[in-house]
Amino acid sequence: MKFRKAFKHALNMVLHAKIRSWLTILGIVIGVAAVISIVSLGEALQQDVSSQLGNLGGDILTLTAGRPRAMDFGHGRDYGGDASASEEEIVIDRTDLQALKGISDIMLIDTQIRGNAEIYYVAEKGSVTVNGVDPATWYQITTSEIAEGRMLGPADSNVIVVGGRIADGFFDKQLGVNQLVTIEERLFRIVGILDDTSNSVYMPIDIAYEILEDKEKGVYDSIVIKVKDEEQLDQAIANIEQKLMITRHATESTKDFTISSNKERQEQRAEMMSSMTTFLTAIAAVALLVGAVGIANTMFTSVLEKTKEIGIMKAIGARNNDILTIFLLNAGFIGFFGGLLGVILGIILSGFLPMLMGASGGMISRMGSAGSAMGLTTILLALGISVFIGMASGAVPAYQASRLKPVDALRYE
Amino acid sequence: MKGTPMLLHLQDVWKVYQMGEVEVPALRGITVEIRKGDFVAIIGASGSGKSTMMNLIGCLDLPSKGSIFLKDRDITKMSESDLATLRGRTVGFIFQQYNLIPSITAFDNILLPMEFLEYDDKTAHARATKIMKMVGLEDKGHHLPTQLSGGQQQRVSIGRSLAADPEIILADEPTGNLDSTTGKSIMEMFRKLWKEEGKTIIMVTHDLKLARYAHTVIELKDGQIIKIDNTR
Repeated sequence: MKFRKAFKHALNMVLHAKIRSWLTILGIVIGVAAVISIVSLGEALQQDVSSQLGNLGGDILTLTAGRPRAMDFGHGRDYGGDASASEEEIVIDRTDLQALKGISDIMLIDTQIRGNAEIYYVAEKGSVTVNGVDPATWYQITTSEIAEGRMLGPADSNVIVVGGRIADGFFDKQLGVNQLVTIEERLFRIVGILDDTSNSVYMPIDIAYEILEDKEKGVYDSIVIKVKDEEQLDQAIANIEQKLMITRHATESTKDFTISSNKERQEQRAEMMSSMTTFLTAIAAVALLVGAVGIANTMFTSVLEKTKEIGIMKAIGARNNDILTIFLLNAGFIGFFGGLLGVILGIILSGFLPMLMGASGGMISRMGSAGSAMGLTTILLALGISVFIGMASGAVPAYQASRLKPVDALRYE
Repeated sequence: MKGTPMLLHLQDVWKVYQMGEVEVPALRGITVEIRKGDFVAIIGASGSGKSTMMNLIGCLDLPSKGSIFLKDRDITKMSESDLATLRGRTVGFIFQQYNLIPSITAFDNILLPMEFLEYDDKTAHARATKIMKMVGLEDKGHHLPTQLSGGQQQRVSIGRSLAADPEIILADEPTGNLDSTTGKSIMEMFRKLWKEEGKTIIMVTHDLKLARYAHTVIELKDGQIIKIDNTR
């Protein structure tokens, strides 16, 4: 029998299949859908991470006071009654700033402080995060984009840039550029609105010291550093650490500051995502395996059911290979249809899953388009694997069918 | 039929079935020759071995002992795939239960043997159309077997047996499931195939009235031939 004809008969067998075959297909559908949605979810999360990585800039470092977190795990016992006392003394201040200024790897330095303050507009008030930044460098270092107006400039004093949420939704009335708000009894003019959804207010650090009364002038919550060459990031970190250890009289074991890079943070996140995705995929693969067992089971039953037909076909000239081909293709079709429906269901699920997981608003919109973002390769791979699973689980039953003796098969009722 | 070439030759054929520890011989040393163009009826009571003999003649089964020559080829020495092809080309089967494939149309059932034998599509379609007309079902081609009456199904099955233009038509109780009028019309078709198309017809039956259509009657009893009557 020509392959084309065997193909036709195998397809016909699936289309005339009993409800049991469709239940088997359902098994594959669920398995494939689970794998597809989890894999595409993972892909989308990783894309999300890498897009953040791109946005935030891999050339940005943040210096903060205190031990690196990794060290805390190693020396957990250090946290005791006196730890809080000593922690107060550990700060980042002007000395460190001066030290950093002498390092050739560094392009820009932005000193920052942060705290909460009350904001008033007309008769309403609310609490916001005030970020005091160096107006001369912040606009060059920050990864935030301006939506309206302008960034802070070197000569600014009583002006602020606000996050998107403050402009829209925070107060009953929408805020715009050039409008005036009161923060801790001081009047500020809004010069820019950021393209984000934050509750943050950015103002020159000198003014912020006056607003945030508990902050001591010359002491910073963090120093954000932009290095000259992203490729040399590790070298730059090493140089900075070395220099700070000298000026702060610290050794490797008494190191009291942390330099974290966006790159490092994102990489850690990506790694965590990927191991989580792997884990979930493994669970989904088990579902797929169960589906495969279902196919094998259905194929065995189908061979039994079709024993007489196999006998008839052999009587009218079918060779063992013809029967084998038809049944193998039939199993392949079960896998294919299961895979196809699974891919479709998977695409739909990968849109809904993030919502079920309670992801933030930004995530949902990003994940909603995960289906379209899911590569053709993934879809073809899923289909290919489904067909393979179908054929592999149908192989033994198909072989048995092909080996039936025509006389026995014909006698079967 | 003397003088016409030999088509089938059974030489001391035994078929023994193993029933647990007991060996049950169904055929015991059958030797018979069937010539081209003969109409043979194999008769006998149930259990006489006629079904077993039919299976062997149709190459559906192999003998426990002895040789079967189909067109001078020993079927006991052929590979499975060669035997399947030989069977497809040489023998057309007609069963009591019609045995059509239920999921495909009458027309496709007639196409099926030609698909196994890899006829090209054009030839196969032309031939199936001609056969549908010959068996008087030209307007029923798109029906599924279950949508046809018993007589119509048997005619589709006769059509299928003719599809690959075999020399032998092998019929197992072909009218067993039909009423007498329909049965008669089916038997008339056989007679026509024999007389006009020159087919060799081998029919297994327990109905002595049907045997009257045949030229040669082989009577079996307890796995042995007790009488060959070719004087009709």
